[in-house]
Amino acid sequence: MGVTMCEAASAAPPGQGVVSRLRGTSAERPEVDAGLAGGLRDWLEDGLSEAVAALPDDGNPVRVTKEAVNQVLVCEAHFVASRDVARPMSIELARGLMVDALFRQWITTGDIADPWEDAVAALAVSSDGAEMTAFLSSLGADARQNLRGELATHLERVTSSWPHPSPSWMARTQERLIVPLAGGQVVLSGVIDLALGTPSSGRASVCIVEVKSGRRRIEHRGDLHLYALLETLRSGAPPFRIATFYTATGELDVEPVGRDALTSALHRVLAAGQRLCRLHSGAEPQRTPNPLCAHCTGLTACPAGQKRVKEAAGA
Amino acid sequence: MALTLSLPRASTVTDEMVASVPDLEPDELQRLRERVVSELTPLAAELPEGVRLVLDGYRYRVAVRAPEHCAERAGPFIPSPAACRRAVGVVAVDRCLRRRAAGPADAVARVLAAGVEDAQRTEDGDGVRAPWWARWYAELGPGGRAAVAAEATTWATQLWTALAWERIPPPVVVGGRDDWWDLPGQRLTLRSRAEVRAQVDRRAVLVVVVSGAPDATSRSELSFVALVSALAGGARSAPGRVLGLWPAAGQVRVVPVGARALEVAADELVAATATWVDALIEQRGRGT
Repeated sequence: MGVTMCEAASAAPPGQGVVSRLRGTSAERPEVDAGLAGGLRDWLEDGLSEAVAALPDDGNPVRVTKEAVNQVLVCEAHFVASRDVARPMSIELARGLMVDALFRQWITTGDIADPWEDAVAALAVSSDGAEMTAFLSSLGADARQNLRGELATHLERVTSSWPHPSPSWMARTQERLIVPLAGGQVVLSGVIDLALGTPSSGRASVCIVEVKSGRRRIEHRGDLHLYALLETLRSGAPPFRIATFYTATGELDVEPVGRDALTSALHRVLAAGQRLCRLHSGAEPQRTPNPLCAHCTGLTACPAGQKRVKEAAGA
Repeated sequence: MALTLSLPRASTVTDEMVASVPDLEPDELQRLRERVVSELTPLAAELPEGVRLVLDGYRYRVAVRAPEHCAERAGPFIPSPAACRRAVGVVAVDRCLRRRAAGPADAVARVLAAGVEDAQRTEDGDGVRAPWWARWYAELGPGGRAAVAAEATTWATQLWTALAWERIPPPVVVGGRDDWWDLPGQRLTLRSRAEVRAQVDRRAVLVVVVSGAPDATSRSELSFVALVSALAGGARSAPGRVLGLWPAAGQVRVVPVGARALEVAADELVAATATWVDALIEQRGRGT
């Protein structure tokens, strides 16, 4: 596997279909290096060993998710502050969860009767959907109407871009990945919005798709690389391609999975994992003032962040 | 025993599944049964009046992992896509195995549609016994139904792609009946289940699908499945091995079931039963 480049973002041509861009042809799929997954695992275990040795024996593993990686690498204090606060309900979060539910429904059944009703019904039966359905019920008529309109737009992008997958693609939605390290003291985990393809029998065969209802963000590519790493560690074979589908625009960023993507994810996981272990051991979080300080839930207790915000306001 | 997996993994796992199984002497099984009865009987006799303990895989797991939770009163069961994915998924995989569906997604759709029909016929008094999830599912709108289908499809696809089915000697049972064993004369029942059952060298081989990732107590939990199956098997032989599959973690554990493994499983069963009996006595004492 050589150096890979992300394909130029482009609106998925409905006729050509996203699936052919994701699945490619069998000739394009590289052979799997049989030692790759084991080597990556050893690398991670070695790199985390010192931090793991300092962990308290409390039986609680250090959990490494994409959110934890992104937050702790920006600022440890931000991670701690976010961890201790319940996720606030918002229109953006509602849109994201509803679009996820509709995407899943479309891929599974190929049929959506009423986007609003269907998404609310999906949230209502999910184990953690009660708070969101209550939030949706509390919306005023205008907010609800706006969100309905947004949903319709996003759904139009989904249905015009994604065909109902063939049974041979073995589509799985919301597939959980868990990679325990260091005897389970550190657990890497994630949930893939869509996985396509049968497990590898020697060639890379699986495609991973993340669905985003918001705007393009810098960390999306890192998130995908993290999932590619998790899938490699789990299945013994890297995915063939990874992609982000933006439901607001219909854009599909597709990227082949090379060794560079996996090692960049590994370095991020190592850096984040070491910090998370240190925090789990009771260390004081380091504060790293940054442009996101103004939005941090821990700002009121963070002089360094307040100073950063004041300076930014005065600039 | 952790299994080192090479690609294709389904082939490696199936190799392990269908590998030769050593015999277990019938008198060893008989001795085990007598021992379990003699050690569980005084424990079960302590159960509060009117209480029946059904020690299933879930309760066993709680006793082993978090015994402090045994004394808590369990909340009501609430159906959800996650709660019924296994029930729908095993029937769907069985359909795939019998070539009655194009794949797991198609199979799940058919199973769910049949469930709706059965729920209606049950309501009409046709004498049909619908699966436990069918009535709840039938009352859902399209969005809720799709969430159920999606969850079951992912689960079924993971099991369907985990094994090289054509290489497993028939008969292969997917889902099938749970194993039940009543302690004679007492209010204690053991219950376990396996997702796949096959026959190798005249002994059963069980495959159990588990969520999450394996840990230090996983061997004990797989051994519990083997022990209950052995006790419930009556004159039949005990299973020869149990394979645990953790699809989310891509890991497999194999527990060979010999006389010694069953003895250890019996020790652990007695300890788990004692934990539950104590917890139920405490619950009664608190009046909860």
